[in-house]
Amino acid sequence: MESPNRLLLLAATLFAALTLTGCQTIKGWFGKDDAEQQQTESQAAAEEEAEEADTTPPRVIEPNVARRKIKTPKIDNENWELGAGFGFVSIEDFGTNPTYAGQITYHVTEDFFFRGDLGQSTAGRTSFETLNGDVELLTGDERRFTYYSLSLGYNFLPGEVFLGRDTAMNSGFYVMGGIGSVKFAGDTRLTLNFGAGFRVLPTDWLAIHLGVQDRVFNTDLLGEKKVTNNIEMLLSTTVFF
Amino acid sequence: MEPSITTTRSRQLRRTSLALALVFACSLSATVLAKETEAEKAAKEQAAQEKLLQVFVSEPYLELSTGPGRGYPVFRVVERDASVDVLYRRTDWFKVRDEHGIEGWARARDMRRTKLADGSPFVFNLGDRDGFTSHDWEIGIGGGDYGGAHMINAYGAYSLTDNMKIEVTISQYLGNASNGYKAEAGLTHVIVPEWRISPFLELGTGVVWVKPNATIVLPEDRTDQTAYVGAGVRYYLTRRFFVRADYRWHTIFTSRDDNEELEEWKVLIACFF
Repeated sequence: MESPNRLLLLAATLFAALTLTGCQTIKGWFGKDDAEQQQTESQAAAEEEAEEADTTPPRVIEPNVARRKIKTPKIDNENWELGAGFGFVSIEDFGTNPTYAGQITYHVTEDFFFRGDLGQSTAGRTSFETLNGDVELLTGDERRFTYYSLSLGYNFLPGEVFLGRDTAMNSGFYVMGGIGSVKFAGDTRLTLNFGAGFRVLPTDWLAIHLGVQDRVFNTDLLGEKKVTNNIEMLLSTTVFF
Repeated sequence: MEPSITTTRSRQLRRTSLALALVFACSLSATVLAKETEAEKAAKEQAAQEKLLQVFVSEPYLELSTGPGRGYPVFRVVERDASVDVLYRRTDWFKVRDEHGIEGWARARDMRRTKLADGSPFVFNLGDRDGFTSHDWEIGIGGGDYGGAHMINAYGAYSLTDNMKIEVTISQYLGNASNGYKAEAGLTHVIVPEWRISPFLELGTGVVWVKPNATIVLPEDRTDQTAYVGAGVRYYLTRRFFVRADYRWHTIFTSRDDNEELEEWKVLIACFF
């Protein structure tokens, strides 16, 4: 008897479990299904939305980072060369005399440069004056030989010089020519100048020049009109800036 | 083959010498590395202090020469992606310092192919035809004729725009009747700066110092104001050079009853930068 009663009880319990409200398991089952359905529906909707969104421009994310601004420092151009020197100038008929000169150069390219020279010397006595004792052809002020020139130069033979085994210095040979003027014996004359020089650079900003220039001008100072050649030799130091 | 005694001995010797060499090499490389890092540090510190421009090599390598000229030997190469600090420029060469603190000269043409830290190309004026059209400064020297007297000129100009320039001219003239100097400032208008042969107009004022020659009776130095209008043409030669020729018509405001009028012609060789 026990087994049919047991079966009945079991069947009743099962029935009750299936039909009674508040049963978590069953509810959960049905509820789970519903949720899944809802989820799939929402996913489909989202996909549709995404498809729609593809046609409209995507949202750009603005990074909250300041863009690095690069300020380019100005590059120093070192094409100017300024210096001064000492040497000798042979003033035709007036002997060879010491001279002081300044020079400024602008290097246009590797090969060419513009140069300005300004110098002053004092002329000595002519042989006529020396032989005649107290004869003075020119006054003290008139003996001043002041000259300047504007030239175009060409770096002719760039190279290096070697001092011993360990020191190499950049050097260069250059030729130049130009126009200028000379104030001498109470008169100012147009001059043509041409010459050549040698330059050695112990460092990149310092140069030592040894140059020779001829300054040619017309004069009638000693009676007859003639062309005079006044050769100047100058040792100078310049600085690049 | 059994190893002989001598072979074993020599092997042992080789090993010890190898070990010694290894130790020596390690210490040497360590010191070299230490030195390099010190040099690098020094270079970096110096660069930071001087606020130098840093550029990066984007070609396979950048050559550094011993001097700013085409003949000077290349003594070092800086590899791709390495940087150099730009110290200064002389004509078409840049003095640069690499990451190891070694300084050398790099040509402008190669520097044009380097990049800045943000990847943009390193741009600077190269001194070519474009520079003729658009530049800041120009200087020139030349000669001509000023009312029958020989004249020597030097001028400098600053570009306000490609068309408009402020110009200062200093001249000395040497004539039969008088010598003197003049200094003038004015505006120059280049009509079409892009043209290789480019006409321009000018207008300005200045001061003229007249020193009559001693042979004329009652010589007296005088200073007068002058004004000019003129026209000319500039012709681009090559690189940074051009030739300019112009005509100026001067009015000199003398202290006498009549103003003096003078014509001036001149030709100058000039450069821009």
